[in-house]
Amino acid sequence: MTNTVITQPFLGFGLGLRTQHFEHVLTQQPEVDWFEVISENFMVGGGKPRYYLEAIGERYPLVMHGVSLSIGSTDPLDMDYLKALKQLANQVQPRWISDHICWTSIHGINSHDLLPLPYTEETVRHVAARVRQVQDFLGRRILLENVSSYLSYKDSSMDEWQFLNAVAEEADCLILFDVNNIYVSARNHGFEPLDYIRQMDPRRVQQIHLAGHSDYGDYVIDTHDSPICDPVWDLYSAALTHLGPVSSMIERDANIPEFSVLEQELAMARTLALQTLPQLAADHGKHHSAGLPGQDAKRMGSL
Amino acid sequence: MSKDQQQADKGRLHQLQQDFMAYLLQGEPGPALADRLKRQIRDQGGISLDTRIGIYANAYRVRLTEVLETDHPNLALYLGDDLWNTLTSAFIQARPSQFRSLRDFGDALPDFLRQHPQFNQDPILADIAAFERRLLNAFDAPEQPRAAFEQLQGLAPALWPGCRLRFHPSVQLFKCHSNAVESWQALKQGQAPAAADYSAQRAWLLWRGESRLTEFISLAPYQLALLEGFLAGEDFATQCAAMLAYVDADQAPVTVLQSLQAWFSMGLIARLDPGRQG
Repeated sequence: MTNTVITQPFLGFGLGLRTQHFEHVLTQQPEVDWFEVISENFMVGGGKPRYYLEAIGERYPLVMHGVSLSIGSTDPLDMDYLKALKQLANQVQPRWISDHICWTSIHGINSHDLLPLPYTEETVRHVAARVRQVQDFLGRRILLENVSSYLSYKDSSMDEWQFLNAVAEEADCLILFDVNNIYVSARNHGFEPLDYIRQMDPRRVQQIHLAGHSDYGDYVIDTHDSPICDPVWDLYSAALTHLGPVSSMIERDANIPEFSVLEQELAMARTLALQTLPQLAADHGKHHSAGLPGQDAKRMGSL
Repeated sequence: MSKDQQQADKGRLHQLQQDFMAYLLQGEPGPALADRLKRQIRDQGGISLDTRIGIYANAYRVRLTEVLETDHPNLALYLGDDLWNTLTSAFIQARPSQFRSLRDFGDALPDFLRQHPQFNQDPILADIAAFERRLLNAFDAPEQPRAAFEQLQGLAPALWPGCRLRFHPSVQLFKCHSNAVESWQALKQGQAPAAADYSAQRAWLLWRGESRLTEFISLAPYQLALLEGFLAGEDFATQCAAMLAYVDADQAPVTVLQSLQAWFSMGLIARLDPGRQG
């Protein structure tokens, strides 16, 4: 392992681009540094989705986030999917492409869910080999995201963070670090989320996800349908302390509110990041005399 | 590690994934499968193994049901909660997704309704589902520039008879023998639909206009014949001749021309293929 930083420059603070906000984003051009789009939603010939994607992509940096790579499946890699992904990437020119460290399909049947893997040396080898194949095909490193989970396997011989780091190292890929998923899984499995965060390899974490969840008392489900809760904000601060500046964004997939509500949450992320990372605050101060960053955050993101 | 060991490990992972997926697909898995899967799951205390797996099984069904509800809102209203639940449960059970995107999951719903012994008693149901699929197809069909009527006007008169049309990819015809679209419209406007009516064939044209709105209009028999001919690649002269079944000989070219003018203004035409000069 070397200490070379391999991640791309800090993009700032972004949001998941959702259909309900297409028109607002295009006409109002809100002060959001970048947007993440769900790759599969745009693997269509055209129409409104592609129109907005292209128009918004002319104004904002985009990253592509997939849900059907099924990197942990024992099915062969779906080359048709990868071709469609590559074609979309050629058109969108995203800053990066991500998916999840999980499996979603077997025998060609797609569960459309992010199903957990056993955390073993064998699975590390299996997943890493497939990631290398994907990266060779796409001609770029991909990011893999830790998923929320509700069960773990007797076969698992390592913690999730060890598994994630091991795959990233063996495949030479990057990590999309979902802080909410760590909170959800920590509650469901009874581990200490700060242990997870402190074990992450900062060289490989290129993006952070933030989101809300549903708390049922005995367990927590990753629903992306509510505001980010205080314990997740605390973990976000802890993650930035450990990782340094990482491009961060908020996902909301259900109960999608007015765009301004998400902007307020994003302002919270900015404020916390600026409080946590003095160097980010220093950069920020060069461009701002007061208030929260807007255009200047974009400039900051491109530094 | 030997190759044999690697194969065995992969086989173990494969078996686990197979069992897990079978559990999700079966809805009410038998005890043998449930036991086999549970034997592989760690008992961590807190919630039970059944609850842990149940979270995934429930999410699988909820997600797919929500997609069908989103794509078929007025079919759901037409059926009412109980029948809609029966339909979605049966469809999810019978047609697991082989798609990368949930956008395509309901593609087989119209056929499923036509074949299902309970639902095929009411053909209007499959018609409403098929119409809603057509709306989705028009929504995200590929984009193409549209041609203007002036292009046709600028064409040398000698080229008109052999002129053919290339339509925008969003253009679709929908034919049915029920009042499915009228019922769909009533439900969309919050009104109760009329009783199912199978007395006549209806035809509809769907397309996505230049403003990116999905639109549809009903077609008179002559309009349907005209569109079907041009969509099949027939030329202007052939379609004028086809209009003789509907209008007088002197009216046929005018009928075709007026229709074409409307189609251009609606954004239906992507391109003209001029015929060869005789």
